[in-house]
Order: sequence, then C-alpha cells, then structure tokens
Amino acid sequence: MKIKNKLLVGFGFYTLLAVAMGCFMYLELHTIISRLAYVKSADDIVNNALETRRYEKNLLLFNDKGAINELDHYITLLRKNIGVLKKEIVKKIGAQEFAKLSGQIDEYEQSIHAIARNPADKGLIEKVRIIAREIQATIDAVAGGERASIDYLLAHLNRSMILLLFTIAAFIIAGAIINMKLAASISNPIRDLEEATKRVGGGDLSWRSELTGRDEIASLGMSFNRMQERLSAARQSLELAITELHEKQEQLLESEKLASLGRIAAGVAHEINNPLAIVNEKAGLMQDIIGISDEFQNKDKFMSLIQGIVASVDRCRAITHHLLGYARPTESVMETMSLNDVLADVKGFLHKELEDKRIAMETNFPVDLPQIRSDKGQLEQVVLNIVRNAIEAVSEGGHINISSGMKDSKTALISIADDGPGIPQDKVKHLFEPFFTTKGKKGTGLGLFVSYGIVKKLGGMITAESKSGRGTTFTIQIPVDFRQ
Amino acid sequence: MTEVPQERTRVLIVDDEVEFASTLAERLQLRGYDVTAVYCVEDAFNAIRQSPPDVLLLDLIMPGTSGMEALMTVKSAAPEIFVVLLTGHLDIEKELEGMGLENCNFIMKPVDISKLITMIDGATREMPSEKRLEAS
Repeated sequence: MKIKNKLLVGFGFYTLLAVAMGCFMYLELHTIISRLAYVKSADDIVNNALETRRYEKNLLLFNDKGAINELDHYITLLRKNIGVLKKEIVKKIGAQEFAKLSGQIDEYEQSIHAIARNPADKGLIEKVRIIAREIQATIDAVAGGERASIDYLLAHLNRSMILLLFTIAAFIIAGAIINMKLAASISNPIRDLEEATKRVGGGDLSWRSELTGRDEIASLGMSFNRMQERLSAARQSLELAITELHEKQEQLLESEKLASLGRIAAGVAHEINNPLAIVNEKAGLMQDIIGISDEFQNKDKFMSLIQGIVASVDRCRAITHHLLGYARPTESVMETMSLNDVLADVKGFLHKELEDKRIAMETNFPVDLPQIRSDKGQLEQVVLNIVRNAIEAVSEGGHINISSGMKDSKTALISIADDGPGIPQDKVKHLFEPFFTTKGKKGTGLGLFVSYGIVKKLGGMITAESKSGRGTTFTIQIPVDFRQ
Repeated sequence: MTEVPQERTRVLIVDDEVEFASTLAERLQLRGYDVTAVYCVEDAFNAIRQSPPDVLLLDLIMPGTSGMEALMTVKSAAPEIFVVLLTGHLDIEKELEGMGLENCNFIMKPVDISKLITMIDGATREMPSEKRLEAS
C-alpha cells in the first residue's frame, strides 16, 4: 500500500472513531433529554392533578365559587400535559385505559360544572370524588414514577460515562497501535534501505534490499537493487578487465625481458662469433699442417688436442648461431597451410626417435580446423623443438599428446602434452629464458628461447604448464592470418 | 673432370678480421687454391679489377661499405664470379632467394672447411681439393 493511502487509512480510522463516538454521545444525550422531558411532563401532570384536587376541595368543602375557574384552568393543563405524554401513557396502560382516562376527565369536568350550579347534590359530589380518586390513581400509576425515572436516568448517565471512558481508552490504545504500525510501516523500510545504502557504500555489493510490496519505498528498494546489480556487474567486469590487464602486463614484461635478454645474448654472440671463427681457422690450420707433416713426437697427441678445440668450437658455434638467429628480424615466408599437416609432418620426422623410446604419440587433429596463414618452416621448427624436448623428457613407453584446435575465430591452438617427470613450479617461469635447461649438459638452453622468439615473430604466444610428476603441456597460440 | 694444376681456382677472401682472412687463406692454399686475402672492400674492388677471381669469399659485416652493397657491386660488374657470403646468421638464404641472385651462396662463421670446399668445387666444377691435399 502506498504511504499516502496508509496515511489516509489511518486518518480515516480516526475520523470514523470520532464520528462513531459523536453519534453515540448524541444518542445518549437524546435519550436522557427525552427522559427528562417525560419526567418534567409527568411531574406537571401530577401537579395539575394535585392542584385540581385542591380546588375541587375548595369548591366542594368551602363552596368557593372562584375555584371553578382555577379548576377549569388546571383541568385544561392536565388534559394538555396528558396529550403531550399520550404516547408514553398508551405504552404503559394501553389505548383502552387511556381512552377511559380521557373520558373520566371529561366526566369529571362536566360533574364539577354541574356541582357548581347545584352545590347541594350529594350524589353528584360523591360521584365526583369517586372519579377524581380513579383519575388520581391512574395518573399516579402512569406518571407517579419520577423517583424511578431519576434513578433510571442516573443509571443511564453512569453507564454513558463508563462507556465514554472506555471509548476514550479504546481511542487512545487503538490510536497508539495504529500510529505505531503506521510509523513502523513507513520507517522500517526506510531503515532497511538506509542499511542497504550503508552496506553497499561500505563495499558489500552482494547485499540486497529485501523490501517487497507496492509502496514508494519498496519501489525505491527495487530500484536500489537494480542499481546495485548493475554496480555489481560493472565491478565484476572491471575486476575481470584488471585481471586481464595484469596478465597482459605480466606477459608483456615477460616478453620484454626475453626480448632484451635476446638482444644482449645476440650482441654477445656476435662479438664472440668472430674470434670464434679465428680460433676455428687457427685450429683448422694447425690440423692441416700437422696432418701433412711427417711423423714427429706427440703428433697424435697434438691432433687429438686440436680435435678437442674444433669440437668445442662446434659447440660454441651451435650456441652463437641460435642466438644470432633469435635476434635477427627476418622476413617470414607466409603461406596458407593446414596446421594438422604441419603437425603430422613433425610426427613423421620424429618417427624413428619415437619408436626407439617406444613412445605412444596420440594425436587429436579436428578435421574441420580452418587453414591458417603463417610461416610453415618456422612453425615446424618450433613444434619439432618442443616435441623433441618431450621425447627427451618422457621415460621409455611414455605418452605424448599433440592436438590442434581453435581458441577463437582468430587464433589457432597447438597443444603438446607429455607425461614426463614435469618441471618444478618455480622453474616453469624461466623455461623460455636463454641458457635455461633442465637437461643438464645435454642442452644448450636455447631451444625454447628460440621457439619463443619465432612464435612471437609470427604474432603468437607460447606458454607452458607443468607440475612435478604430472608432465608438461606447451600451448602455442598462432593467429589464423598473421599480417606483419 | 680432370685436374689442371696450372689453372688453379683463384679465390679472393674479403674480411676485416685479418687473422681470420689470412688463416683461412693459408688453409685454402694448402688445399691447392690460388688465394688472396684483403681486409677491406676497396682493396677487394682493386684486386677484382686487376685480376678477377673465380670465387669471392665476402664477409657480410664490415666497417664502411657493407658486404651486401659490395655483393651488388661485384654482381653487377662481374656476374661470373661465384660469391660465397660469410655470415653469422642462419637465414641469409631467404634474403638471397628474395634478391634472385645467381652464382651465389653463403656459409656461416665459424666456417666448416669441408663444406666450403664442397661449395667452391661444386661451383667451379673442379676436382675436390681435399684429394689434392691428401696426395701432396
């Protein structure tokens, strides 16, 4: 119910109560006044009758001629007053007795007049006395109860007063209850809403106003809830955006770190490469010269030492060439290809290695995978690199799973998972850094670093997930159509 | 194919790293090639003008005129010279393909001598010089 209506109902109740009380009081007063009027008229009738008897006595006992006029006067009054109370009298004694009374009064009047003309008529006098006594008796019976009437009035007044007190008390109690209810029905929802605004203001966005109903405050509460839901949704998307931003920032930092590491490494590699080439030539020349010389002391020893130098140079060459390849911005050769074919080719290349270690390679290439446009050779190099790592990681009879798919309409996915020993969590984040290796002396620590560089160059991203004892999964994201 | 000793393959090495160029020259000489080493692009141009070599080993990164520019100059002036670019990078092949140059190849530093010999001999259609080295 609307607040306006609530107030109207409250006010209406009060008004009704006041009107009811007024009506009740009016009726009570009306009853009392009617009763008083009856008592007065009854008293008048009794008085008229008494006066009439007094003048009758004056006429009959003392033969006072003047009394006849007084008698006429009081008989007229008596008649008039009886007329006034006719209804009440009829109610008391019945219409027949009332007619008899009227007849007796008429007869009395005529008899009085007859006596006034002939005072010596004893029979008539006796008749008048008899009639007068009968009239007196009837009047006493009808109107002689003033005393009772006063008692009745007092009782009635008492009852009215008590009723009035009760009504006032009821008025106060009902008023208080209604006021409290009305006040509560208006102020409770406001308090509820206030609580809601405080909580939401304090950051508790899950809090809802529980107001129901159809009044203005409930409607405000519902508007508040809608506002709050929107606020909640906005905050959620904001939090999501911030999380994404953080992730992107971390990726950016990571890729910037790797890029600068790459630049430094390539710079060092370039500087090292030339002296390395000289060492290579000098050692080679020594080999040449000793090779064509005649036998001399320790010739074989020298040859094997030089072999050692050349082998070390070869190792260094592998490193510097990788690093120089990473840093150099090369033109990619873009072509349209099936990613599944690339992956199948890689599987073909590694056939022998897989067989040697009895590794089961599962593939999951959806046939409806769209063609992509990228550098096939470079992509192959990356996948080959990662699968080779997986082959080295898993134990004999292990499993490697290669699958392709789409991340969304613009990005293709390659996933390479193995069930090898995995990489400890704290080391996973260093996987793509140059010279980081889990293979000990066997690896240069450049394979993934170079792969990372290639994927970046192709507009994609490469991530690794691993847990000790649970294998490693590499995920490569490649744009479906990369424009440099 | 027959070996003609008096018509030895003439090789010109151009590299600003003197130690590298001279040592490589010596190694090739041991293998029977007629080798000259120069250490800047200008000297190389002079040498080519005086007597054009069969094979030019050209370092890609040098102070002053770059190896690529030198390559273009040589190729336009004397396309018959087989040029081997010495580079630190893996992927020069694609650039060369892109340029559409013929009679040209590359090898990475540090140089694998047997690979270089195969490349030179393949281009000049001579007997592998390794054999001459063994025979001598």
